[in-house]
Amino acid sequence: MADKETPPLDPAISPSPAAAEMGEADSEPSIHPSFQCCICLDLLYKPVVLACGHMSCFWCVHKAMHGLQASQCPICRNPYYHFPSICQLLHFLLLKIEPLAYKKREVETLEEEKHLDCFSPQLSEHVSFERVHLEDVKQSSRSPKSNDLPETVFKSATGKQVSEDDVICPICKKLLFQPVVLNCGHVYCDSCLSGLVDGPLKCEVCHSLHPKGFRNVCLDLDHFLEEQFPIDYMTRRDSVQLKKAQGPKGEASSSVSQAEEPKVGKSGKSKYNEFFFDGDSANVHVGVGCDSCGMYPIIGNRYRCKDCKEKIGYDLCETCYSSSSELAGRFNQQHRPDHTFELDDSQMLEIHKSRTVR
Amino acid sequence: MLDVSRVQKELADCNKDKAISGVSIDLHGGDGDLSHLAGTISGPVGTPYEGGTFRIDVRLPSGYPFEPPKMQFVTKVWHPNISSQNGAICLDILKDQWSPALTLKTALLSLQALLSAPEPDDPQDAVVAQQYLRDYPMFVATARYWTETFAKRASVGIEEKVQKLVEMGFPEALVRSTLDSVNGDENMALEKLCSG
Repeated sequence: MADKETPPLDPAISPSPAAAEMGEADSEPSIHPSFQCCICLDLLYKPVVLACGHMSCFWCVHKAMHGLQASQCPICRNPYYHFPSICQLLHFLLLKIEPLAYKKREVETLEEEKHLDCFSPQLSEHVSFERVHLEDVKQSSRSPKSNDLPETVFKSATGKQVSEDDVICPICKKLLFQPVVLNCGHVYCDSCLSGLVDGPLKCEVCHSLHPKGFRNVCLDLDHFLEEQFPIDYMTRRDSVQLKKAQGPKGEASSSVSQAEEPKVGKSGKSKYNEFFFDGDSANVHVGVGCDSCGMYPIIGNRYRCKDCKEKIGYDLCETCYSSSSELAGRFNQQHRPDHTFELDDSQMLEIHKSRTVR
Repeated sequence: MLDVSRVQKELADCNKDKAISGVSIDLHGGDGDLSHLAGTISGPVGTPYEGGTFRIDVRLPSGYPFEPPKMQFVTKVWHPNISSQNGAICLDILKDQWSPALTLKTALLSLQALLSAPEPDDPQDAVVAQQYLRDYPMFVATARYWTETFAKRASVGIEEKVQKLVEMGFPEALVRSTLDSVNGDENMALEKLCSG
């Protein structure tokens, strides 16, 4: 939830001079309103974006999920079954925008994880980013975002911090416009995804399936991009709108996301419901999630790794088991491809077990 | 484990604009226990609760904010969805419709909205609900009377102050007129009584 009233601590990141004065007396650190977690009310840490476009910290989403049935987005109550992967683009973006606050969150979270003996995935920078401006981060630790500054100053100042290379779409290779974060955590322009061939929505980078096909623009990220790169954002908007107007499906695609969602949602939904609820609702593995696609709880067959020693274990759903997914565990497990699996029904509800027996 | 840092943020955030929002929340006791809080909401204007200040006992379970806070009216209130006996509240967001994105402030604001818009078809107190449906004017009168009697902080406060000052040895009539002249400020009244 955007909270514009949070008193800023540092004048450099406060939205107005008046707020900056207030902030000096207050000990609450300021968080960019787009990047405050709606659950812990702190700076997002290892952000996860749900299909509806709302985001929270890795652990906040995980703790808020149901484990027995469909979970609901804390903000819009959109139902979902899959725990999305961490959005690495946002993770490294936040590390740049709020390096100190983000590091602080890292330390705090690690402390908690040690206590739980369960860890969130480690993200290494070189994997996802070719061009990292580490020196810039060290030199100036704040990103000026004051709206009062003239745009020229604003642009040159931010150029050192967040560059457009940090926020480009893997399809069009341009600044993200109306970004959509898929279940795997990769980010695309909404318009680029609608340009993909028909069929189930798949990530172009990691080829993992986006469950249900339902997607929504991550508005918090979108607003940030508009604010950070006003001129390029406008250019992108104009070109996308022009493309839409010229395209063969010009009239239908005037508002891509709205026009497509119901369509995709409807067809996806019936299949989805069939899969989850028709007769087979007995196969719910309470509190057990698939480490590959994130389905939580696992419904259907559950394959448990016999060799992973971590307390949380490593599990796969039927689909991911048969597709021999190579994704690492959701909780930093040391799972290796040569590990062996076994079918496990220990976490199924007793009531369901008895029903299946009958 | 209770998210202490979030609760502290919520307290600060809720009390920042309490004059406008009409809801506030504080620690219940002086021992710094963040799991037991005391909320207040002011009765919405244009309802039988107008002018009243209602105290709410707030207990945070260890799973908060992933579990809803437990809220109960301490101030007696006549309302179809609030028990006239023990202050128990019937409100979906405090039960199965809770979301971790909701806060103590939004929950208190929802209670305020509940005072404005009773749901007699889903009652907590069947007697009140029946009265609400069958004899609405009587319901309004009762609710207003309860507000006057139990929720007017000023009138309750004044009686306590009068008693305190009378116990100090001042005549009651003088105490009352003095308190009136200083708008109920106990210390100023005492000063005036001592000097006068």
